[in-house]
Amino acid sequence: MDNIKLMEKAVSLHVSGETAALATIISKKGSIPRNVGSKMIIFRDGQIIGTVGGGCGEGEVIEKAFDVIDTGIPKKHKVDLTKGLFYEDGGICGGIFEVFIEPLKKVHPH
Amino acid sequence: MMSSEMLQMMKNKLNQQKVTALVTITFHPEPSYLGKMLLVCEDGSSYYEQSEMEFFEISIKEWCQHLIQKRKSKTITIQINNLDVEFFVEVVPPPPHLIIAGAGHVGKALVQMSSMLGYYITIVDDRPEFARQDILPLANEVICESYIEFFQKCTITANTWIVLLTRGHQFDVFSLQELLKRTETPAYIGMIGSRRRIAGVFEELREEFPDNIFDHIYTPVGLDLGAETPSEIAVSILAEMLMVKNNKSGHSLSTQIRRLAKLGFRGG
Repeated sequence: MDNIKLMEKAVSLHVSGETAALATIISKKGSIPRNVGSKMIIFRDGQIIGTVGGGCGEGEVIEKAFDVIDTGIPKKHKVDLTKGLFYEDGGICGGIFEVFIEPLKKVHPH
Repeated sequence: MMSSEMLQMMKNKLNQQKVTALVTITFHPEPSYLGKMLLVCEDGSSYYEQSEMEFFEISIKEWCQHLIQKRKSKTITIQINNLDVEFFVEVVPPPPHLIIAGAGHVGKALVQMSSMLGYYITIVDDRPEFARQDILPLANEVICESYIEFFQKCTITANTWIVLLTRGHQFDVFSLQELLKRTETPAYIGMIGSRRRIAGVFEELREEFPDNIFDHIYTPVGLDLGAETPSEIAVSILAEMLMVKNNKSGHSLSTQIRRLAKLGFRGG
């Protein structure tokens, strides 16, 4: 799904008040699978739409997105793919990227 | 998070082939500002909903125009009232416009695949039984018109990609002649056809348009992948378009590293 379609989807989920989060790559260093601006929508059950590059790095982003969904507070997270060229499931790109994760549903504190 | 109004505003600008920049506050000492957004367009206009955003807009506006010029998304930190504020400026260019002439087998496959790649797709055919939205649901516009008339007046910009796949080679050539008469230059013109037929066409075109260098004309269309079926040909055409767009070689990525691979990789 291209970025504009992902934005449309995120906005429609925001309007319907879905418990989900939107992650966007906001900076990168070295070789990473996707460019700055790439987006992924994460649902509380772990389902995703779009990708920030797949693999372990994406798994990390999904984990952090759960915190964002639960607290309702946006957060930045840095993913480091430089450790171990052939680690586990092939995070072989060797760069660092940062994502901004924001909730699609506002949690109102009591 | 963006509102539906802001999204609509952005899409309107993109449909006018204007580049936009979406700005998100990604760091601010006051957490309630996190995720607040504004929209800046290359035409100098901007859009935001809360009046407090005006303050941020003044600080980031110039950066946005600079990044729009460079077509580059970037995070920018600016000191505002002695506070570090980080903005993510995402440059959103209008989607490339793909015009397909001919809604036959290859045209149909090309609509399906180019839709996955995010093109704004116009397909034109002069036969009403082929130029039908119901059989081409992924096309943004389906136009039934003669090719010559269509190419005389269609909008062409540096973001327009044209692929000529009509049922008869003579219609492709007529279309190409109309396109060469235009003053605007598209990013790419691809024309299907065998090498033998095309050699003849070029001889003719050189006489008719002696000043044209034909640099943006790709014919026979596509990369050399041995494509045969309509879907395979669509892959080969889109691969070539991507190669042109990114100014790359079209070679296998492994070509350069193959020599090194023989020496053995080392873990990092």
